[in-house]
Amino acid sequence: MDALVSKYAAEPELDIAEEDDDEVGTGLPQSVSFTLPPIDHPAKFLRAMTDDHANPSAPIKLKHGTTTLAFKFRGGVIVCTDSRATQGSWIASQTVKKVIEINPYLLGTMAGGAADCQYWLTYLGMECRLHQLRHKRLISVAAASKILANLVYSYKGMGLSMGTMLTGVGHGGVFGLYYVDSDGNRVEGNLFCVGSGATFAYGVLDRGYQWELTDEEALELGRRSILAATHRDAYSGGYINLYHIKEDGWVHHGFNDTNPIFWKQKLEKGEFQNVSTTLDA
Amino acid sequence: MASSYMLPYAQQAPPSYAHPTEASQPRQHHWSPYTENGGVILGIAGKDYVILAGDTRSSEGYNINTRTARKVFSVGSGLILGVVGMSADGEELARKVTRKIDDYKRNHDKHITVSAAAVMLSRILYQKRFFPYYCQPLLGGLDENGVGAIYTYDYVGSFEREQSRAFGSAAALITPFLDNQINLKNQFVPGSNGEQPKQAGDLPRATVEKIVKDAFTSAVERQIEVGDGLQLVTITRAPPRTEEEADDDDWTGAAISVELSPLKKD
Amino acid sequence: MDVLLGIRGKDFVLIGTSKAFLHGITVMKATDDKTRALNDHTLLAFSGEAGDTIQFAEFIQANTQLYTMRHSSDLPVAAVAAFVRSELASSLRSRHPYTVNMLIGGYDTKSDTPMLYWLDYLASSTEIPYAAHGYAQYYCMSILDAHYKKGMNVEEVTGLMRDCHEELRRRMPIDFKGLRVKIVDKDGVREVEGFD
Repeated sequence: MDALVSKYAAEPELDIAEEDDDEVGTGLPQSVSFTLPPIDHPAKFLRAMTDDHANPSAPIKLKHGTTTLAFKFRGGVIVCTDSRATQGSWIASQTVKKVIEINPYLLGTMAGGAADCQYWLTYLGMECRLHQLRHKRLISVAAASKILANLVYSYKGMGLSMGTMLTGVGHGGVFGLYYVDSDGNRVEGNLFCVGSGATFAYGVLDRGYQWELTDEEALELGRRSILAATHRDAYSGGYINLYHIKEDGWVHHGFNDTNPIFWKQKLEKGEFQNVSTTLDA
Repeated sequence: MASSYMLPYAQQAPPSYAHPTEASQPRQHHWSPYTENGGVILGIAGKDYVILAGDTRSSEGYNINTRTARKVFSVGSGLILGVVGMSADGEELARKVTRKIDDYKRNHDKHITVSAAAVMLSRILYQKRFFPYYCQPLLGGLDENGVGAIYTYDYVGSFEREQSRAFGSAAALITPFLDNQINLKNQFVPGSNGEQPKQAGDLPRATVEKIVKDAFTSAVERQIEVGDGLQLVTITRAPPRTEEEADDDDWTGAAISVELSPLKKD
Repeated sequence: MDVLLGIRGKDFVLIGTSKAFLHGITVMKATDDKTRALNDHTLLAFSGEAGDTIQFAEFIQANTQLYTMRHSSDLPVAAVAAFVRSELASSLRSRHPYTVNMLIGGYDTKSDTPMLYWLDYLASSTEIPYAAHGYAQYYCMSILDAHYKKGMNVEEVTGLMRDCHEELRRRMPIDFKGLRVKIVDKDGVREVEGFD
């Protein structure tokens, strides 16, 4: 197959790095000139240095841990995330923006490596803009997600780590929702949760999900599902980041501290009965 | 011409299919290109200033290599960069950023904004995604409105603009102190029975300087990799005072001052 | 955990694939389709390494479709299987082999014969009357060994597929969300309902 591919593929521009190995531009040329360690198995080296599951004492701890969700319903798409980033058991940040605004019509969520998601979703934004300029219309979410999936697939086994939901409106007001990850998966669906807290979010979300939700109910369901995950998953927490995608693009619905939301939910709605308000209970 | 390890993946020499023998194969001993030189840096952004401070100890294991290492660098166009982790990678990164900022000035005939420099630094870090720099950088500068900005990074370039941040071997000691003193986390309005949280506001520079010095003197007490001296770098607004200054292309509108003070040396 | 099942009948092939898309312990999708139609009379079912599966299947699909466009006639089933095997064999000897197991069901319109090919990621390929990949092999091969007869009609083979489906539901510890069953015959590829 490689023979076939190379026969029909255009000659890749490989002389870019030769001109100036220090060149930092944006776009594809740069993506073919990532520096590699001068050893036989670069991926193995990277794993030994960064993988904090297999090797908790690895010197380089990348930011990890997350709960993110997105679902389609009658009124569009809801996207909701927490905001915690952890490096091992250290909470590196409580204010991470895990919803990446690719353009006014497309959102991507961040799970896995923060840098991988930020970098490649920004790159995707560029590709989407180029598509728009070339074809005089918005890119479909299906096409955008495929650009991303093919891109990360070409790096399979190199150590990229991302689990992202790509969602938005494309040409003709069609809503799209795709799960794309660094293993090479790309799946279309109505409802996804991704990250270490995903199972907890699924619990609340599946229980309350219906296609015929009103906008307010849908926003509330997304918010409540992330709250559930921040409560049960230690790697999730911080603030709840909420978005609603409508036919004319996305609308942000706040970045709110989980703590007061939790107490409001408990004290006013009587939920979280396992949490006592006194020390002796 | 770049050395072979700088070449992109696709340009590396193809693997040889000659029959491998023990003698012909290069023996690969465990290869560890990283070391930890300790130290801590701390950045705080105010409404018209930025403070970036670092200690001046550089160590390796229990050995102190030098007591006068600088961790905060002026990288041009009124911006400063703090680096902590492996000092060789940190200095290499600072050198690279300095050059790129200079390139930008020459190519565009204007100073780079701190937000653009922030993206640039992210790209520099991500370019080494598969062989990361072993250092954590903090970028400081005044934004287009003259408001202080601190950009914080992980090793491979994910970044975020923040109010305050500590990196390095005493980060776990200093961060909770900063959360409490700068962001007023878990502080409540007296008499509100813990119901009304205090709102974090603009702190005057003198107050923040005190907080920074307290953070460092306290860290020195409990972390062996921190000590010797404090390098405190401040950026303040410097509007041109004369017509010559206003016409000067190199005038950045930012004044960088460096203060060195002693920390405990044991 | 994916189920791939194929049974060749008198003048058709029936192929069933599990509808669950699993990721770790989570079922991320319950309506997944692990097949691609290569041309009017050939269906490819696949399982294996994430990413590799769809990339390889769609590569094969694109090339068989290209063949159809260039030659105004479909690549026969046996040729498709040989092409897939050859691509897999060269991939296996490359730096990044595709880890994909496949079933190819097709109807040869020239000789009016149904064909079922079993291929694994090591580029073995064989034409057999019934085939399975994954855990389905352990549960279903004995049923098929016992009850498969030469020249079975659609009702009989569908019944056999249903027996396999029932056994998997009864004995497999993991819910695979039912089978998506498709028939390939002289009229093309159609879905057969009722395997949830």
